[in-house]
Amino acid sequence: MAKLSNDIAEKGLSVLKDKNNGKLIAHLNSCVHCGLCADSCIYYRSMPEAKFIPAKKVDLVSSIYRRYCTFSGRVFPGLVGARDLDEETIDEMVDLLFGACTMCGRCTVHCSIGVDISYLVRTGRTMLSNMGLVPKTLQSTIDSAITTGNNMAISDEEFVETLEWLGEDLQMEVDDDTAHIPLNQVGKDMLYTLNPREPKFFPLSISAMAKVFYAAGERWTLSTKMYDVTNYAYYSGNIGEAGVIAQRLYDEMEKLGAKKCILAECGHGSRAFRWEGPNYIRKPYPFEVLTSIELMADYIRTDKIKLDPGKNPDRVTLHDPCNLVRSGGILQEQRYILKKACLDFVEMNPHGNDNFCCGGGGGQLAMSEYNERRINIAKLKADQIIATGAKVVVTPCHNCVDQLTQINVTFKLGIQIKTVAEVVADAIVLNENENTSK
Amino acid sequence: MPTLEIENRVFEVDGDGFLSEPEIWTEEVGRLIAKFDGIEDMSEKHWSIVNIIRKNFEEKGMAPMIRTICKESGLRLREIYELFPLGPARGACRVAGLPKPDGCV
Repeated sequence: MAKLSNDIAEKGLSVLKDKNNGKLIAHLNSCVHCGLCADSCIYYRSMPEAKFIPAKKVDLVSSIYRRYCTFSGRVFPGLVGARDLDEETIDEMVDLLFGACTMCGRCTVHCSIGVDISYLVRTGRTMLSNMGLVPKTLQSTIDSAITTGNNMAISDEEFVETLEWLGEDLQMEVDDDTAHIPLNQVGKDMLYTLNPREPKFFPLSISAMAKVFYAAGERWTLSTKMYDVTNYAYYSGNIGEAGVIAQRLYDEMEKLGAKKCILAECGHGSRAFRWEGPNYIRKPYPFEVLTSIELMADYIRTDKIKLDPGKNPDRVTLHDPCNLVRSGGILQEQRYILKKACLDFVEMNPHGNDNFCCGGGGGQLAMSEYNERRINIAKLKADQIIATGAKVVVTPCHNCVDQLTQINVTFKLGIQIKTVAEVVADAIVLNENENTSK
Repeated sequence: MPTLEIENRVFEVDGDGFLSEPEIWTEEVGRLIAKFDGIEDMSEKHWSIVNIIRKNFEEKGMAPMIRTICKESGLRLREIYELFPLGPARGACRVAGLPKPDGCV
């Protein structure tokens, strides 16, 4: 059990004592314990123990709030279910708020009165982060990003060599010696970002996006200084660290003078930079931020790229990343793309705003401590995939790709997992005279 | 500390099954972890990938870039994913006895 001094407890409590945060106070005081959220939660559905019910996680945070921030809780804690912030409480908070929630937000949309449950879970995480209690596997990913500029500590030299290697590959793919992957170019229309796992281990999605940009005749660049689309401090709830990471991409946009920042296929990264970033750094962006999904849909809609769906004949289904879809509202673009790029696209059930999380969100993939639970909750997703009969699962999120890869092996699904860009790149027709394969 | 038991040998691992002490790794340990992941027979190609990863880890303290693995092994990218269905990180690096890499893997 972790030792807790008064000084450290006070750092955690300061989050709840912020009287200017009206949203927090309203949501902390609103749960009516109706229990509707239980069945919405992938943890509770997979492991039906009361502690996994979202309302119980809310109660963990609100009971501390009552103890220290309300008159009745200070005077009669036992009567109002107010709870001391002590060692036992923080152990439970770490276990349930970090270890048993992907912050997927499915409970939030099912809540009978609209309590933003995932926001309250994240508030609990912020308290733990202030107290220095972030699981060390998650914190080390944040530390890598802060100290090296990317969350996998890839050196500049290794990054540049990888991009040059992929550039050569692109020339062969499109049969054009002038094709290349532009680096650090000033004054382009778009700065593209990457998830570091792409250059490190899974570069097919970089090649795919480079081919899409080539086909669209786009004026784009990558930066070697700041290309990391991820922001793991979003998961830990540490707004200060999240702001450091968001500010770097903001600074790089200004330095290179790009008009639009295009976010790679990354759920939490899109949320952290596009939708929450201006709040982290407390200023609006003077440039536009788009996900690559919206950009590709636009290329197709405006005939900038031509696709032959016959090149993707196998049955394809789509996994909706929670941060991009339920939270960000990017719902139709990926469907529009898949219908144009594949012959046989089918939906999972449920899908869209009601989709089940893959189980890897909320930082779960980084936190080995809770691996067993992460695999337990993944069975729901495996069953959904099997029911579609799909051979390919497409998802616009690298974090989901990794969890789905593990689901594929663990539950012996025998499927392929691809990003949206990979499917689009496979369907691209570069030469109008090329024989279509219908 | 979680453990991994394969053929009566017990290894201390993290929650994801990566060795807690990379220095106890031997080829025999690699073979056992691979078997646990369903790779019954480690081929020459499997070993060439694992040896490149192991060498990079011993020299630089981290997993190599996928480009290094492709270049030094002469294997194509897609072949590597086929040889290790869990991918270079959760598959090959784990067989090579490395700690789990940070990030979305």
